Amino acid sequence: MIDAQTLPLPDFPKVRYSAWQLDALSPSQATYETPQFLTDESGIEVSGLTTTYLALSADLQAQGVRLTSLMAAQKQWPELVADLMHRVIPATADRLTAQNAVQYNTGIFLYIPAHVVVPDVLHLVLNQLALTGDDLVARLLIYVGAHAKVSLLQQLNTIGDQKTKASVVIELIAAADAQVNYANLDQFGPQTTAYINRQAQINDRATVDCANVAFSDGQVLTELRSHANGEGATTHVCVSALTYQKQTQGFVTAVQNVGRHSVGHIFQRGVILNKSTLVFNGIGRIIKGAKGADAQQESRVLMLSRRARGDANPLLLIDENDVTAGHAASVGRVDEQQLYYLMSRGLSQTVARRLVIRGFLGDVLAALPTPSARQRVIAEIERKLQDEQ
Amino acid sequence: MTTLRIENLHVAVSGKEILKGVNLTVKTGEMHAIMGPNGTGKSTLSQTIMGHPAYEITAGHIYLDAQDLSDLPVDARARAGLFLAMQYPSEIQGVTNAEFMRAAINARRPEDQQMGIMAFIEQLDEKREFLGMTEEMADRYLNAGFSGGEKKRNEILQMMMIQPKIAILDEIDSGLDIDALKVVSRGVNHMRSKDFGTLMITHYQRLLDYIVPDYVHVMMGGKIVKTGDAALAQKLEAEGYAGLRDELGLDIVLTDEDADQYVEVAHD
Repeated sequence: MIDAQTLPLPDFPKVRYSAWQLDALSPSQATYETPQFLTDESGIEVSGLTTTYLALSADLQAQGVRLTSLMAAQKQWPELVADLMHRVIPATADRLTAQNAVQYNTGIFLYIPAHVVVPDVLHLVLNQLALTGDDLVARLLIYVGAHAKVSLLQQLNTIGDQKTKASVVIELIAAADAQVNYANLDQFGPQTTAYINRQAQINDRATVDCANVAFSDGQVLTELRSHANGEGATTHVCVSALTYQKQTQGFVTAVQNVGRHSVGHIFQRGVILNKSTLVFNGIGRIIKGAKGADAQQESRVLMLSRRARGDANPLLLIDENDVTAGHAASVGRVDEQQLYYLMSRGLSQTVARRLVIRGFLGDVLAALPTPSARQRVIAEIERKLQDEQ
Repeated sequence: MTTLRIENLHVAVSGKEILKGVNLTVKTGEMHAIMGPNGTGKSTLSQTIMGHPAYEITAGHIYLDAQDLSDLPVDARARAGLFLAMQYPSEIQGVTNAEFMRAAINARRPEDQQMGIMAFIEQLDEKREFLGMTEEMADRYLNAGFSGGEKKRNEILQMMMIQPKIAILDEIDSGLDIDALKVVSRGVNHMRSKDFGTLMITHYQRLLDYIVPDYVHVMMGGKIVKTGDAALAQKLEAEGYAGLRDELGLDIVLTDEDADQYVEVAHD
């Protein structure tokens, strides 16, 4: 048995979160009746302990694709789940991860066998039920087999308005030559204090492209880590975050180049409103022996309020000579020239400013796999900017 | 009829005086061209009319009919009927061309008379085809990844969609090959009517072969030093600006230094 409390808290430089009490969780037992977000999409929706929606084509089922709640998967395929779990994130990595490993009671399991090409976007929706004061403690486990190809849209939402916490650990394994598009839309509610740990293991010649949209309303710690272990493993990690009111969002976005000729690119964009705080820590690490590896990162933060706080800290740790690496970071204000251009066509300053801000986040918008996901993000940007006035 | 009237306009950028008393009147139904060497303040004039915040009016006035423009912010000037086709249009990701143009059109209309999506697309298709632009451009992000020529066409497309009263075209010929120049000129000529006036700014006479102006003004040293008809442009092409300067007995040093560089400095 792991004793989580003896392990250190994860390191989120420049984020003060000790008062958030993320290391004291009481897993919620709440259940739910109906789906809230999915209607006719391929995918699964899990609310609290209940699977409220599940749709997977007969064809994919016949090819061996497995999509269920994590608890159901553990009953049906115990060896498989046990074999895959903790491969990417060790149970004892830090206190919050360990605690999740000990206490999780819900989640999602997706297994895509080798050579399966999934034609539709698969939706993986996990909803926290903030109906009592108890917390969400969940895991997602995703395996994409060799040469398989899939586009995933993963969502985190809150139903209810009680003050709670959420701990979500997500492991993604991309086997050799797999191609994965992984987009996530994090939208926990204002009363939710969350810890999200999302990590991918990328094997030989596999590609994992991530679009991480962090639009939760409350306090959030997000760790995004890609392990480019295989030869020629490639990952592009796009992060788009919007903070408003008094919330704080802290990120550690890391790519570890282990494989020769592996490629890890981090691209982060953040918009900070009101009295909120946003901290981007970007880490590119190249391990000795990862010859020909490429580690790049760019973090840009737009500060829209004098009372806001923003940080973009790039870090490159390189133990190999034969590599390429670079970083750029900036904290700035709205581009006056863009604003002028839009206003010169008759758009009011308010509308022009919104479009410029949306444009700033635009690269990530473009990476979302469905029009409805893009619309949702655009609506969220509008809503949070409304609040600014 | 709408009249843009510029009276004794003095403009400074970062404390340096660029325009030193410009007088000019442009009415709807008229095509004006301003020519002049580099660094003489042509772009400064266009940006000042539109209301770019980096350009400070130190003396004089700009009127659109009875309205003094110094009272109006950029967006209100646009809604009052002004349009500026820019030399360097901004690129904005995440906002499609179509969405942007419809927003610009609807910004001019009352709440209960907004242009619907179908009517908009119909108009857009017609004008887009007229300018030889592809269908997919509507869904592309505003100027993002557009070539120089595509950006210029897009400026003209916006002008055709918005239907301003007075359009200022700031070096729309720069960076265009001859085919693109013809297309862009076709767009401007198509707009020619008694309800539309234009002020074209150019270095070269070539543009004026395709869009024949009613008036040609020559700007040097921050002032308009000579006004004539289309023949003046031909003469300039033959004799150069130095020839005209000497003929007028002006004491101006011609330089390739562009006044706009001061704006760039101010932005840094």
